[in-house]
Amino acid sequence: MAQMNFVGAGKSYGTTRVVEKLDLEVEDGSFTVFVGPSGCGKSTLLRMIAGIEEISEGDLLIDGVQMGDATPVERGIAMVFQNYALYPHMSVEKNIGFGLKMANMSKAEIDKRVAQAADILKIEPLLKRKPGQLSGGQRQRVAIGRAIVREPKLFLFDEPLSNLDAELRVEMRVEIAKLHRALAATMIYVTHDQTEAMTLADKIVVLRAGKIEQQGTPVQLYDDPENLFVAGFIGSPRMNFLRGKVKLASDGTASATLAAGGTVDFGAIDPAGWVDGEEISVGIRPEQFHYEGAGDIRLPVNVDVVENMGGAYFIHAQTQSDELVVCERRGGALPAAGDALEVGFNRADLRMFAANGQRLRLRAAQ
Amino acid sequence: MINKSVANWVTIIVGSIALLWMIPLVGVVVTSLRPLTQTTLGWWNPDDFSLTLDAWTTVWTKYPLLDAFWVSVKIAGLSTLIPVILAPMAAYAFQFLKFRFRRVLLILIINAFVLPNQVVVIPLFRLWRELGMIDNIWAVIIPFAGMSFAWAVYLVKNYLEDFPKELIEAAMVDGCGPIARFFHVVLPNSITPIAAVAILQFLWTWNGLLLPVVFLRSDIPLTALLARIQGQYESNWDQMSVAAIVTTVVPLVIFVVFQRFFTAGASTKSGSKE
Repeated sequence: MAQMNFVGAGKSYGTTRVVEKLDLEVEDGSFTVFVGPSGCGKSTLLRMIAGIEEISEGDLLIDGVQMGDATPVERGIAMVFQNYALYPHMSVEKNIGFGLKMANMSKAEIDKRVAQAADILKIEPLLKRKPGQLSGGQRQRVAIGRAIVREPKLFLFDEPLSNLDAELRVEMRVEIAKLHRALAATMIYVTHDQTEAMTLADKIVVLRAGKIEQQGTPVQLYDDPENLFVAGFIGSPRMNFLRGKVKLASDGTASATLAAGGTVDFGAIDPAGWVDGEEISVGIRPEQFHYEGAGDIRLPVNVDVVENMGGAYFIHAQTQSDELVVCERRGGALPAAGDALEVGFNRADLRMFAANGQRLRLRAAQ
Repeated sequence: MINKSVANWVTIIVGSIALLWMIPLVGVVVTSLRPLTQTTLGWWNPDDFSLTLDAWTTVWTKYPLLDAFWVSVKIAGLSTLIPVILAPMAAYAFQFLKFRFRRVLLILIINAFVLPNQVVVIPLFRLWRELGMIDNIWAVIIPFAGMSFAWAVYLVKNYLEDFPKELIEAAMVDGCGPIARFFHVVLPNSITPIAAVAILQFLWTWNGLLLPVVFLRSDIPLTALLARIQGQYESNWDQMSVAAIVTTVVPLVIFVVFQRFFTAGASTKSGSKE
């Protein structure tokens, strides 16, 4: 267990900056997920923590101790790689025990720890096999086993589930969550899959182009995104954005005329960022649409496709201004493609974003 | 799906070419087994056909065949062992470690590619004479091994370019320094290119003629002995055939036994789904 801090840490290759100077704290015993699109620097950040990648500037503290120049072993980390990175020439047993052997641990102690890890991960029957003889899920367990035996202060996971098929991914996701609870260890997990981020994390750090866009609990990020990028990235299907034109009134209220038709009256606003006449994005999540006359504001749409998920269905539709929206509905009549439909939403569910992507807020009292 | 009759044609064509390639080999064997008088008009001449082991016994008694064989083994063995041990280390360093002048050093080593034996033989001869190394098998082994580094390092390094980087990073996380990473992770997973280096180098040094002929006098390998048999008498095709067979057998066996390494692909799949 450990606390980790980045203090003004950044990474550049020559003149190319891949991670901007950033400050970040990972609390002791927490499950922190770095999430972001490919190339956002999340893996680089993880590798900087691991000690595989040098930190170009700033520092890394683990439990308050400067670790920027320390070896991975001195940092007390263990890492699970995306492609498992099991040594092909060693048996599962040797793979798991290799780090301990390099640490000059006694054979008896290694055997004991390997057996323990195998028991936790239910891989005892596989111990004598080579990685090539294992399935993807089994390999992933072995890779996790290799991390557990080290009893590290910090577990690092680099997109560990992205090579697994959908079913196994869900299964392993649950296992990792259980493992976190059982070991009460500090874990840092990198993924581009926002579902994994939402389900596993105590804290999510959303990264884009080497910068932290927002960090917080999954619920904070979902309900209260600070910018358009986070709003669009977290949640599946993603948030719908409707174009609107702002009209500010002299009494400190605002309204917007939607391109799709209709006007939204926001009431009293927090004036930061609001500009009269500017085009803004009005965001609404798929599950926040209402049907059959419910909702403050109505939006006529034409149905393109209906995806029936069994318990719910997703209506992909076009507004009159040709904007695409996805509406989630549970129960009720199933519309057909080509149908005209009127959906509704409530003012309180809307999230507004300025043209530069920054969140526009209403007055706090509301 | 290939048409079956087409497949038959392929067999016939490939078979014919293979047969064509075999004819000289058959010729050498037949020549070594027939009296010289019968083969002056060609080993295929059917008149007066008889078999004899005369040439074999003559060569065996008249020439130090066994000694030469042993010298060949020593020269080819040591000339192979040295690059097989050192080239993977160099390739690993060039591929995965960062140090000053890495690029320049690599270019220098690989540049030796363009140096044929013939170019170095005179300067080397003068050097060995100065050092009193003439007739010492190391006079042959050192240039054989040295000149192999160019392609051996290049070959192994090329292979390592596709080596999964994550394995090396996993070893770092497991507490391996640069040297431990090489011995525990890279070396055991680089058998294919190392075997290729070993086989090629062994074949080439076993068959090497120029350097042994120039630098060695008494302890000579089979190839040099073969040249000597050829040089001493006017027509001793039967004896030369015997020597040629003895010289060829080892490379042939080595090639047949180890040929799978030429076709085997990289076997360093660490478990990702390809």
